[in-house]
Amino acid sequence: MQGISFRRSSVAGLPAGSGSALPALLLVGLFFIMPVVALLLRSVTDPEPGLQNYATLFGSGTYVRVFLNTFLVASVVTAVTILVAFPVAWMLAIMPPAMGSIVFGIIVLSMWTNLLTRTYAWMVLLQRTGVINRALMGLGIIHEPLPLINNLAGVTIGMVYIMLPFMILPLVGTLRAIDPMTLRAAALCGASPFEAFRRILLPLSLPGVAAGGLMVFVMSLGYFVTPALLGGTSNMMLAEMIAQTVQSLLNWGLGSAAAFVLLVVTMALYAIQLRLVGARRAGGGI
Amino acid sequence: MKLFLTGLLAGLLAATAGKADEMAFTSWGGTTQEAQTKSWAAPFEANSGIKVLQDGPTDYGKLKAMVDAGNVTWDVVDVEMDFAIKAAKDGLLEPIDYSLVPRADLDPRFSNEHAVGSFYYSFVLAWNKSAVTGEPTGWADMFDTKKFPGKRTFYKWSAPGVIEIALLADGVPADKLYPLDLDRAFKKLDTIKSDIVWWGGGAESQQLIASGEAAFGQLWNGRVFALQQDGTDVGVSWNQNLTAADVLVVPKGAKNKGSAMKFLAAASSPTGQAKFAEASGYAPINTKAKAEMPADAVKALPDAHVEGQINLDMNYWAEHRDEIATRWYAWQTK
Repeated sequence: MQGISFRRSSVAGLPAGSGSALPALLLVGLFFIMPVVALLLRSVTDPEPGLQNYATLFGSGTYVRVFLNTFLVASVVTAVTILVAFPVAWMLAIMPPAMGSIVFGIIVLSMWTNLLTRTYAWMVLLQRTGVINRALMGLGIIHEPLPLINNLAGVTIGMVYIMLPFMILPLVGTLRAIDPMTLRAAALCGASPFEAFRRILLPLSLPGVAAGGLMVFVMSLGYFVTPALLGGTSNMMLAEMIAQTVQSLLNWGLGSAAAFVLLVVTMALYAIQLRLVGARRAGGGI
Repeated sequence: MKLFLTGLLAGLLAATAGKADEMAFTSWGGTTQEAQTKSWAAPFEANSGIKVLQDGPTDYGKLKAMVDAGNVTWDVVDVEMDFAIKAAKDGLLEPIDYSLVPRADLDPRFSNEHAVGSFYYSFVLAWNKSAVTGEPTGWADMFDTKKFPGKRTFYKWSAPGVIEIALLADGVPADKLYPLDLDRAFKKLDTIKSDIVWWGGGAESQQLIASGEAAFGQLWNGRVFALQQDGTDVGVSWNQNLTAADVLVVPKGAKNKGSAMKFLAAASSPTGQAKFAEASGYAPINTKAKAEMPADAVKALPDAHVEGQINLDMNYWAEHRDEIATRWYAWQTK
């Protein structure tokens, strides 16, 4: 944590280097704040002024279902991603640096491959006549193909795979900052490895877990391609629903309202997390 | 990549605002747009000297955004017919100038004041022969999971087709389909819901059937035709094949309206339609086109299967599009 303390040193109440942040702020204002305002305006003016789009949204069982489903998928993906990423991050943190950078390279390499290509590759692997099912059936382990695609399992597998680097990167940072002597001290005091993990490593790594988890969760909420290709219609996510509403039904008001609600809920979650973990720690480790 | 570059070019074109000797044509990409480029755009360029920039895929949201913003970069767009009828009502389309586009030989089912037919097609029942024992003979077989086990694939989006298929399978006579009994259709679809794999685009439908991932499917006849051309062992039943059409429209405020009308004339001409039909397996909307086609190509067209053929009612769909879509997605996401 010491390494990043300069970020918080301040001159006259403003963080150091605020002046040079001006271009970035302008960029955010122009290309983020303005579209969001336009979105909000559209949701209360299209096709006519009023809140009817929000009434439709919350009155429609479909949208509410898709909303809940979106949060369910994002939660499952986040939980599984944390479970898978933690051991990898720990291994990376304690590896000799030379080897660590090779493993790191392999993980990051996956991010350089086109998203659509990777998703199609999963389709080939997961489908009923796909590689995994054929192999398992060939080995006599199963007799009926496992339903790995067009359902929650397919979406989870595909999305966890994509989200892993975003979880591993902040976690490695946090884990590397933990003094290994604390673990040795725990062992010396008679703690079992599990005890040491539970009482030392886990609490100390929470800021990294929280930062990565939030990032993965928020990214998952808006995901489009992977759920559309690997999921079934009964776990349709909001992004796909919005795309349909806007592109095919041309109902921009309703689509804007849905997008705006998603944005508000996401920001609320972020605010809650800031309160729980503390602003410094939520941003730490990245 | 090529599509991206042409898209970029179309964007640049918009910036320089409509040169007289260029126009942009937008369609759905894939084998269909390739056939359109070869059969319509290339000869048109040679004859008229007007350069046709290809863009795509068709996106109704984008079309509306262009018209709303008054910056229309697409001159001719290939759209589904029910959308065209609705878009014309919403004021998104230019009327067709039939003084420039000869109308006498156009199939009246697929052209109107704001749209010239692009091609028409049928939804047919196709199956992977190695994944199916026996031979399905009609839509009812897609709902009979005992006699024909396996996954079945249907078109994912709310569009003419699946509702009608469910009703036909449930015993509704072809001439009593409209107005659609949605309750009855969804009840019928409920019986096989867990056996359905949805396809969102033509290539996906082909992949599902060719791999045997889905044993049967409701497919566009042109996609089945392409599978057969590739040597895939697929069976097809034309029983109660359902026709629908794509049409060509000119968005309101298109910058090269004159060129667009000339392009429409070339695309809907007997020769343009004959060439496209031969390349795609989709049917021509010009009644004189078949005379210019080889006999075996004519045999592959929906025209060869008019007995029991049912025309999906595009006017009904245009009118009830939103209402059906609401029900459709409510059912689908349940």
